[in-house]
Amino acid sequence: MSYLSTTDFTEDQPFVDRFERMLRGDLDLSWLDAPRERVTCRPENARRGLTFRDLDVGSYGFTDMPELIRENRSFAPRGAAMPEGLPDLQAEVNRKSEVWAYNIEGYYEEAMTRQWNATTDIPWAELQSVELPEDIGKAYAQLLTFLTEVEMIATDVPAKWMGRLNADFFEVKNFIATQAMDEARHAEIFRKRALSTGWGLMRASAQNEFNLKFLRDADSFAEASLALHLQAEGMVLTLFRFSEYISPTEGDKKLFRLVMQDEARHVGYGMQHLKWVLDHFPERREAIHHHLDEAENFVFGGGYATEVLEPFIILSGKGLKKENIAEGVRITNAFQLKQADEYFERLAKCGLPERRERSRLWKMIDLRKQTMAA
Amino acid sequence: MPAVSAPPPLRFPSRDFFEALREAMRAERERFSRLGFFDTTFGVRISSDDGGEPAEFALRFEVFDCVGVESLAGVETDFVVEGPFAAWREMLDTIHALGAADTAHSLNTLTHFGEQLRVRYDDPDGHDKLYRFAESIQEFFDLSARLDFAYPDGSRPPAARAERQRSAR
Repeated sequence: MSYLSTTDFTEDQPFVDRFERMLRGDLDLSWLDAPRERVTCRPENARRGLTFRDLDVGSYGFTDMPELIRENRSFAPRGAAMPEGLPDLQAEVNRKSEVWAYNIEGYYEEAMTRQWNATTDIPWAELQSVELPEDIGKAYAQLLTFLTEVEMIATDVPAKWMGRLNADFFEVKNFIATQAMDEARHAEIFRKRALSTGWGLMRASAQNEFNLKFLRDADSFAEASLALHLQAEGMVLTLFRFSEYISPTEGDKKLFRLVMQDEARHVGYGMQHLKWVLDHFPERREAIHHHLDEAENFVFGGGYATEVLEPFIILSGKGLKKENIAEGVRITNAFQLKQADEYFERLAKCGLPERRERSRLWKMIDLRKQTMAA
Repeated sequence: MPAVSAPPPLRFPSRDFFEALREAMRAERERFSRLGFFDTTFGVRISSDDGGEPAEFALRFEVFDCVGVESLAGVETDFVVEGPFAAWREMLDTIHALGAADTAHSLNTLTHFGEQLRVRYDDPDGHDKLYRFAESIQEFFDLSARLDFAYPDGSRPPAARAERQRSAR
């Protein structure tokens, strides 16, 4: 037990007396007198239901929340009366610009309505009736093993930060709770699909796991979000689209469309968060670049992990014959260039257009484009 | 008793075609509600084989419904899916025959490398909505399997192949 109460309540006679009086009907009722703000909240759109945006009113709302949360150190829900004696829960993140994103409330509502079920929404029986050739089956199982590894860390990262955010960031905490659920479902579906191919889980990837460790061990939420939501998930989103493109069956295509939906929503949060940071905390710009320098270093290393690259080549070339490999290399190259282009395009749109010039990853990609063109 | 003639088939591409898709989506409200909020406006551009003006429409989605089919001109869109008539026809023929797109004709596959259909966009956040709502968009286009339509030359998509018709979707 790391936290002990300073009172042993069963030995505290005034407390026991008060408790007994209350159970005899001698009520305190002081909470009834706390002056509260009464508000009217109605769905702006009846078809959408009552959303967080509809609750953005008065002291309960988020629009007028200050940049620094000095007052609430407890779990008091934003807008509630805070009596003396609430504990200081020592939230690590108390600055709005470190977590907030434009339209965060919309991303949460979208996440809640677009949940799906890995057990029942995939035609598993149909998938199991399709026997994949050995080379394709093994390559696919290896890809799914890698994706399971990725999604396990992607579950841990938001879950790790959720309890460290100030309780006033209610909408963000709820959004990253949906993200943790999304990522857990992704780990579930990739594990299920790997086992259902008949080839089982293949080999974990050391190179990839160093990259994942970097994501997990970020020093701040802002750094974790930058590396996870925008960089890693942005690249994984392109990867999911590519995986849909090379999927061997219609059921697998559906699987990747469902996971890409969630991933694109997380990337959307990452983009709107970075925009918010740059708009409200511009002095973070250099720190962002420094963090991206190292994040991109890991991406470059992880991108060339044998356990990731080779299955892509085999799946996109549709086999292991020489001509299949040549075609697979051509398609995989195109995918990696697209992945990098989309990543830098997103950063530019968020307000970091100079990233291309500063990035060693971009220089490597550019060099590769020139080599391919020659 | 006067003979009742069947209504003429819809024509692809046309606004009537996409409005019929909208109606088919309304009839499947429960299914689309399960897929979740679907908030985007995107364009479709079908280039003419003979070099004429492309057919262009904007499709507006809100909450669980398609709330508007209009001309693309002047409409702010998240992205536009464009391509030659032949590529659109191949996609629709497959959907009509199979009840839904097969592995070679899902919208993501057709657009991924821009080989058959291309995605145009100004804002990557808008572009990403193609993926945020990927399943809803795919199922919207898959509803064309139910439409009775013809191409400008009068030809029809292939009839449904009963043995490959999907029922579990």
